[in-house]
Amino acid sequence: MGGPKEGVQKQIQQDWANREYIEVITGSIKKITDFLNSFDMSCRSRLAILNEKLTTLERRIEYLEARVTKGETLS
Amino acid sequence: MATDKVTLTDALSNVDVLDELTLPDEQPCIEAQPCSILYQADFDTNFEDRNGFVTGIAKYIEEATVHASLNELLEEGQVHAVMLYTWRCCSRAIPQPKSNEQPNRVEIYEKTVEVLGPEVNKLLQFMYFQRKAIERFCGEVKRLCHAEKRKDFVSEAYLLTLGKFINMFAVLDELKNMKSSVKNDYSSYRRAAQFLKVMADSHTLQESQNLSMFLATQNKIRDTVKENLEKIPAYEELLSDVVNLCVQMFESKMYLTPSEKHMLVKVMGFGLFLMDNELCNINKLDQKKKLNLGKIDRIFKNLEVVPLFGDMQIAPFNYIKRSKHFEPGRWPLSSSPQISPQADLMVHLPQIREDHVKYISELARYSNEVTTTYKETRTDTENKDTAELALRGLQLLSEWTSVVTELYSWKLLHPTDHHQNKECPVEAEEYERATRYNYTDEEKFALIEVIAMIKGLQVLMARMETVFTDTIRRNIYAELQDFVQLTLREPLRKAIKNKRDLIRSILVSVRETCADWQRGVEPSADPALKGKKDPDVGFGIKVPRRNVGPSSTQLYMVRTMLESLIADKSGGKRTLRKDIDGQYLMQIDQFHKTSFFWSYLLGFNQSLQQCCDLSQLWYREFYLEMTMARRIQKCTVKHQHNEECSDLITMEKRIQFPIEMSMPWILTDHILKTKEPSMMEYVLYPLDLYNDSAHYALTVFRKQFLYDEVEAEVNLCFDQFVYKLSEQIFAHYKQLASSILLDKRFRVECVAMGTYLILYPRANRYETLLKQRHVQLLGRSVDLNKLITQRVNADMLKSLELAIAKFEGGDITGIVELEGIMQVNRLCHKLLSKHLALDEFDAMFREANHNVLAPYGRITLHVFWELNYDFLPNYCYNAATNRFVKCRGISFTQPVQRDKPPQMGHQYLWGSKQLNLAYTTIYGQYTGFVGAPHFRTMCKMLGYQGIAVVMEELLKIVKSLIQGNLLQFAKTLMEAMPRQCKLPRYDYGSPGVLGYYHAQLNDIVQYPDAKTELFHNFRELGNTILFCLLMEQALSQEEVCDLLHAAPFQNILPRPFTKEGEKTESKQKRLEAKYAALQIVPNIERYGTAKQVVIARDGDLLTRERLCCGLSIFEVVLSRLRGMLDDPVWVGPPPQNGVMNIDECTEFHRLWSALQFVYCIPVGETEFTVEELFGEGLHWAGCTMIVLLGQQRRFEALDFCYHILRVQRVDSKDDNVKGIHLKRMVDRIRRFQVLNSQIFATLNKYLKANDTDASAVEHVRCFPPPVHPSHPSSHYYRPDQTGSR
Repeated sequence: MGGPKEGVQKQIQQDWANREYIEVITGSIKKITDFLNSFDMSCRSRLAILNEKLTTLERRIEYLEARVTKGETLS
Repeated sequence: MATDKVTLTDALSNVDVLDELTLPDEQPCIEAQPCSILYQADFDTNFEDRNGFVTGIAKYIEEATVHASLNELLEEGQVHAVMLYTWRCCSRAIPQPKSNEQPNRVEIYEKTVEVLGPEVNKLLQFMYFQRKAIERFCGEVKRLCHAEKRKDFVSEAYLLTLGKFINMFAVLDELKNMKSSVKNDYSSYRRAAQFLKVMADSHTLQESQNLSMFLATQNKIRDTVKENLEKIPAYEELLSDVVNLCVQMFESKMYLTPSEKHMLVKVMGFGLFLMDNELCNINKLDQKKKLNLGKIDRIFKNLEVVPLFGDMQIAPFNYIKRSKHFEPGRWPLSSSPQISPQADLMVHLPQIREDHVKYISELARYSNEVTTTYKETRTDTENKDTAELALRGLQLLSEWTSVVTELYSWKLLHPTDHHQNKECPVEAEEYERATRYNYTDEEKFALIEVIAMIKGLQVLMARMETVFTDTIRRNIYAELQDFVQLTLREPLRKAIKNKRDLIRSILVSVRETCADWQRGVEPSADPALKGKKDPDVGFGIKVPRRNVGPSSTQLYMVRTMLESLIADKSGGKRTLRKDIDGQYLMQIDQFHKTSFFWSYLLGFNQSLQQCCDLSQLWYREFYLEMTMARRIQKCTVKHQHNEECSDLITMEKRIQFPIEMSMPWILTDHILKTKEPSMMEYVLYPLDLYNDSAHYALTVFRKQFLYDEVEAEVNLCFDQFVYKLSEQIFAHYKQLASSILLDKRFRVECVAMGTYLILYPRANRYETLLKQRHVQLLGRSVDLNKLITQRVNADMLKSLELAIAKFEGGDITGIVELEGIMQVNRLCHKLLSKHLALDEFDAMFREANHNVLAPYGRITLHVFWELNYDFLPNYCYNAATNRFVKCRGISFTQPVQRDKPPQMGHQYLWGSKQLNLAYTTIYGQYTGFVGAPHFRTMCKMLGYQGIAVVMEELLKIVKSLIQGNLLQFAKTLMEAMPRQCKLPRYDYGSPGVLGYYHAQLNDIVQYPDAKTELFHNFRELGNTILFCLLMEQALSQEEVCDLLHAAPFQNILPRPFTKEGEKTESKQKRLEAKYAALQIVPNIERYGTAKQVVIARDGDLLTRERLCCGLSIFEVVLSRLRGMLDDPVWVGPPPQNGVMNIDECTEFHRLWSALQFVYCIPVGETEFTVEELFGEGLHWAGCTMIVLLGQQRRFEALDFCYHILRVQRVDSKDDNVKGIHLKRMVDRIRRFQVLNSQIFATLNKYLKANDTDASAVEHVRCFPPPVHPSHPSSHYYRPDQTGSR
């Protein structure tokens, strides 16, 4: 009785080990996903701020250009 | 690179390192779980690995096979259900041949078949499927109901799967009944197919006939199931087991997701309906205690309406009422008028709130603990607690989601009408009666709150997912292995000892199926295996720990086998229970109960999502179908409707309902409409319902058109949302700015008088919304801050433009209000700029003022326009008040035409209606006059450049006035002047003198235009001079203020106070040192570039010396005016005596004396005086000209009126000379004399400042004063001193 029974038990144990390995990998992938998601959020946030600054500068330059052009056309 | 091998540990530590990267995200989280990437690992194998567990009991492995195939059928059923629910009528879009003669009808039919063919195929598959499913279901029931089998134990999982089948039949049947478009489409197809003879063979024809019958027969599936079941003997026993299991699971909350809960209820209803027939009476089963109808009655009452899909629902009571032996007495609640608790959200709310607060605090505590303390491994108890925490969270979420969806379903089935809800119009259509008008404000807020709780908690739990899943797996592993390896030892020992072989084999099976032995094999020395006692020191078994849960099949096997041990029912045969000790039974039972939730916990991610799924709040396929996607408008004309009433029902074709009827938007809009501060931060949660719906459309419904419709609605709603929100935010900050600047005493007095209450705007939480830079919506990331910035920027600009336009629509007095509005706008801009990157205020102001490209803005132009057309010709100056007021008498110019002030929303002016009223009242005070405040604001608004241009233009007008009209008049009147006019002797007495002058000046007195046109022209000139003078005064004040403000930055400090014995200088030095950091020039010299240093020095010099060199505008104005008086007529020919003219009337001052005589003549009661008509501008004009022509002294010495005054002073006579009242005239003369002297004094102050005294003295020619021998010098009266008396 010992042989096949032990074999099965060992297989079951092997299965547990394999599945644990899969879980670890899955968990790690999940962590990577979480990281990517928060990286995404963080980047979006920072890009939005950068974009805002650029837009402000652009509008400012546009305004200043208009102001300066006035001087040219007058003189 | 590719050859580099990364070990597993390295890879894992690499992943762990990711945690250490800081990823700052400034925005507060007020939206539902934002994730760009969704990662779900699904380990449910659907029993695919069943053959691996050879050590399990064969019967349950077989059962697993059955389960697997049944599950596949259930999945297929779900696909068909989705197909039915999302079916949109196709045939209506297909043209129908109008007659048999229509030439293209073959083509039409061909296309019809082509288009509908694939769809019809789905229906055919559906019919086959239901046949197959019914057959399979009945087969299973028959097998289980076999007399022999009945005695056997049927597992809970099996019964539940049967229940799921019952549920599937109920759902499919309901959907098939409701969808009439399916039938219509099929008949269209059939017509076309028959015409084209596509279905040639008899088999196809027969199938087509069958399908047609299948679709057309209501309740076909239900009846077929019932019919087939009734052929099976004793099937009702099995069904009552199923129903009882459902009742038991429902009561002990053995379910997780809302859909499972609803499934249990549907199974009870439909199951009972299936059981009740000719042979079997459920009431009798109740009596036999095989069923408990009372319990079910209560469950059904609590959930009268069970959600199905989107806007479809099933009422379980209906099944009961339709069953054969329905006895209302047994179902007391089915007809009770009491409203089901599912209809009332408010009853649930306090409990939900409490649970929410409790749970999130617990979660927060735990989350802090996890993030702050690092532990290699946690204890089993800790893991157990965490796993329980996770489960509790899921259960709460599921409960709340159920409450929301159940309320929604109930409302759909109980639409309101105009009787119940006054706001609901009579002609409101079905769907809006079910949604839009069906919720009270309170309910909407409650819904929003609950949705916010669900979505908020979902975010929190999702964030902890890795921690949760980790501990869950560890906990489950530990519990399972401890139970299997340790707990089961005792019953196993007992079974071996007592030779209970069946129990032993089951227990061994359980252990072998899932035990993970420390050494890979069961310790063979374990005395328990031989039925013997442990040694006294105990038999040590070390149970390992892993981070993994059992596989789905493994869990099923273990649970089912254990269940067979503890089952108390196994059809008459002696149960195994009796052979197991009570304590072990309880342990097994407990394990069985706990492990029920393991599958949910192991699939934490999926469970979390399913527990929070609110996608169905958007779907409305049923209502779209019902209203045929058309809006039905009843004839609204109030009259007796008759057949001619063609528009009795007009149909408006429409493929979707407007957003006003859509739940997500109703809730979003409710927050925006009420502006409720406590709800404002929730505003993104209702919008997230669209994410749910879109996700459902993509993953479950898998229908592009549904996703497109969601997307289209989101596009529309989000635009609306941003539009409304930014408008609101702008108005809010405008009101705040206005309220801050509103005069405090005015406010207090308003309150005291109770006239109107001006409240500060309610604090609101827009800041949080304004910080949102990435809102996730349908996979897009939206920068809300940017969108709002754009709109608010535009609003701000519009606000400034409208303020200027308002000014342009009014007279010059509006300048004060304009400045007030600008101040408010500036403050509003400042407040908003804390959150939004708006353009600079000055830039915006210039843009609104059209002053970016053009040198002069709208304000400057309008000020000039007003000065020219209204102020100069119509206003009268009064030195006593230092104000100009509008002449109330005769106007000498055309009335002024202005643009109408624009209509504008309150938010563009002062913010709100009340604030507008308050500010209009305040600024109303400034509309009646032009005085110091106006000049001050004009200075501010025009600036140096504006003032310069206005004055320049005014001088041009003055020039044309002096060299045009005035010169002309002067020339004409000089003709009318007497050649000579002496100063009569005192001997004539004052009446005589008056009489003399009156006679001499008769032509002038009688000159018709003198008192009108001429004076008017002089007034215009005088007003201009006064304007320039007052502007300069105002400007000087401003500059002094500027200078004072600048002083500390220029090292100009006030002299410090010194006590005795202290040195002023040292104190001064200390002060200078203290404020050294403020001083601009030295600092820039130290830190700046050479260019900056030059600029700073220049700026400093300019500020320092602006007032020092005494630049005066008014002086320049006067000298410019002097230049204009170049015509010889003003000075006349040189005096004949070579010194000066005495009696000759050739110079301007003589003409002015004549005019002064004219205006000094007192007027009658009803006539206007010159003061009233022209104000003091007249005198200013005359005096200025006299001074500028250098004739002041001669004027003062020789003036006619002054002479009358002098004489009258001596004789004090009163008389009436030719209708002129002497005394009154003299009084007037005296008054004007004083005025003239003041004017002269003021003018001389400005003119003398410019004179270099030395040069003036050099040019003086001294003449001895001529003294008349007859007049003693003591009587000599010096008129130039009168001003000072």
